[in-house]
Parts: sequence; structure tokens; C-alpha cells
Amino acid sequence: MAWKRSDDPPGNHPAEPAPAAPRPTPAPSVTSPSAAPEPPRRSGDRATIGPSIFIKGDLTGDEDLVIEGRVEGRVDLKQNNVTVGRNGKVKADVFGRVVTIEGEVDGNVFAQEQAILRQAGAIRGNISAPRVVLEDGSRFKGTIDMEPNKDRPGTGSTGVSGASGIGHQAQASAPSRIGATDAGSAGESPVGASRPAQAG
Amino acid sequence: MSWFSRREPAARGAGTQTVENGPEVYRSLALPAVLTTLSRGHKLNVLDLGPAIGDNVERLSEFGCKLFIEDLFASKSAVPAGEGMLSADFFAQFLAPPEGTLFDIVLAWDLFNYLDHRELVHLADRLRRFCRPGSLLFALISNHKTIPAQPIRFRFNGEETDQLIYEKRTQVERPGPRLASGELNDILRGFRVDRSFLLRHGIQEYLYVREGA
Repeated sequence: MAWKRSDDPPGNHPAEPAPAAPRPTPAPSVTSPSAAPEPPRRSGDRATIGPSIFIKGDLTGDEDLVIEGRVEGRVDLKQNNVTVGRNGKVKADVFGRVVTIEGEVDGNVFAQEQAILRQAGAIRGNISAPRVVLEDGSRFKGTIDMEPNKDRPGTGSTGVSGASGIGHQAQASAPSRIGATDAGSAGESPVGASRPAQAG
Repeated sequence: MSWFSRREPAARGAGTQTVENGPEVYRSLALPAVLTTLSRGHKLNVLDLGPAIGDNVERLSEFGCKLFIEDLFASKSAVPAGEGMLSADFFAQFLAPPEGTLFDIVLAWDLFNYLDHRELVHLADRLRRFCRPGSLLFALISNHKTIPAQPIRFRFNGEETDQLIYEKRTQVERPGPRLASGELNDILRGFRVDRSFLLRHGIQEYLYVREGA
């Protein structure tokens, strides 16, 4: 598909990676535009990668993670929740239980339970999750691979008509608006009062 | 934002400012056939040529399909105006699914109203290539002299199987395509009209079926 990306602004990539950061990264390189690298902060069972942190490498661990900085590589926390915060920029595949994106992800998202793309979020890549939530205003390019939810019927409560009646054309005289303000289409019927399609 | 051209969030509900009259709900007479196909239990590949809309993703998630979202109008809008019509190369890059992928359902919404004849031909070429026999193509064609300057956003209306919410994103109008059905059928050769409904508000719904190879 046609991706378009602009170059990163100069100065965002440090020339040399700094020493490895503590958990949840086994051996990533961590750099910061400021002085010494700052380890991920832990808050309860949740670690946070701050906005000034740049991690290049694989991230693994057994606690929830909030990314507000930049990560390139792979984020693998399959049993935990991963949040890419508003300031977060991730160029990596992200594995988590519930993966929430409020920043930018350039890579694939694999969520065991749910993937959530918030309004401010953007994903360029594929999402694989049983449940996917895309908030209005979010930006997404890619594919969404959704497993069937066996608890729910496929066609909703009202049922649908068959698609097998191939080969006929019809004109429907009543497209039916519901509950809408008058947009100058007088004469249209509310849903439920429309006439069925007529063979044409 | 680097690789996205930010667009305004969709207008919804009572707080809508962008559309004077707010979203409207219309009955769709072709949509039930699409949903029936989705509900047959197979994991289908669905190509959505409109923007990513949460309600639609949520609705489609019930069917466990694989959803390919490719907002063609947004991609077209990102092309510099001086480059003119979109080329075959553009479409080859734009619609290049993973090897072996064939789409079972294509949701074109009202996109065809916003493409020139040659662009439609190029798109149809790609769709012929990546649709298997029996695949469905859902399209809405305007019969009005003018249409909104940007495509309407269409949402599934909750669990309803035959209703779509129309959200106009602009009050600005542009000339309508006035695509004759014969012209459209010629462009989409290889697809045959399964059903077609002229709705009272001037939109013609088409459900095409990809013919056998």
C-alpha cells in the first residue's frame, strides 16, 4: 500500500547509543538528548519510558508499560498492557494483552485481548486482535485482523436478508431517513415505514 | 505527524459543527446482502476504501474478518495537484495487498463519485485482479448535479443491518459525476450488477459480484 513518510527531524537520533537501560529492556540501547540516560520509572506494576528516552532494541518484561519516549525494535509484553502515550513514538512491532495507542506506531500491533487506537493516535501497520477500537479522529493505515467473537451472532438482532438472489435489479422508492433534521428531502419516510424494493 | 495527513475528526451527534443538519440515517437496501455474506462464518478479506471509522470496525469485528483499510480519497488528496490524474502506477502502489490476498468484499462507499474516468478504470483493473469470483463490491453513486466536495462518511448504524449513517463533512459542493450505469458497467467489466437500488434521495446503490475467471 502507498505509505508516505517524512524524514525525522534532525537531531532526534543520537549519534551513538548509550548504555543499556534497566528493566523492562534486556539489552537495549538507551539514549537521551539530555545528560545521563534515565531509567524507566516504575509506578506500581507499571513502568514508564519518559519522553526524553530513546530505546533501540527489544523490550520484554512482566509488568505493564507506558511509552512516552521513542522506541525502535520490538516491544514484547504479551501478558501485560502496553500503552503508547501521546508523546510516544514507536517504530516496532508491539505485543501486549491490551495495547492502547495514543501516540504514533509505525509497525504491527498484536493484542491478546484488545487493541485501542485513541483519537490522537496513529498506526501505520497491521493490527491483530480479537477486539479493536478505533476512536474517531485516529489515523490508521493497514489491515485489521479480527478473530470471530463466538459470543455474538454475526448479523445482529434484526437479521439480514439473503444475498443469494443474484441477478435482479430493483428500484426502491423509499430510501427512508430516520430521525434526521430536514435536509430538503421531503417525502422520504422514516425507517420502518418504507416500502420494500420493487422489481424493476 | 509524519506519515499521515491529519483530517478533522468525524462529525457526530448533536455537537456536530461541520454539518448544518447533522448526520442522517438512511436505509440501505444492498447492505443486508453484504452483511449476510460476512455472517457465513468464513474469515473474509474486506477492503474498505474509505477512512478508518471506529463504528464500522466495531461492526465488522463481529464477523471476524480481515479488514484492509485504504482511504483512497485521502491518498488522492495527498498527491500534489499539479500531478493531475492518478496514474496506473499510483493505483499499483496504492492497492498492493500481500501476495496471495484476494478480497471477498469491497466497500467503495461513494468513492467512485470522486474519481475521474481514467482513475476509475485503473481502480477497476486492480479490483479485478484482487477480487475472487463471487466477491462483492458495494458502491453508492450520486445522481445529483452536485455532490459534497469531500466524500460522505458512512457508518453502520449500530446493530441495524439495513441502515447507514451519512455524515457530510463539508457544505461545499462540486459537480456530480453523473455516471451512467452503462458507463459504470463498462468500467467495471468483470463485475456484474447483482442488485441496484435507486434511493429516493438520489443515491444509487450498487452491489456488484465479481464474475468467474
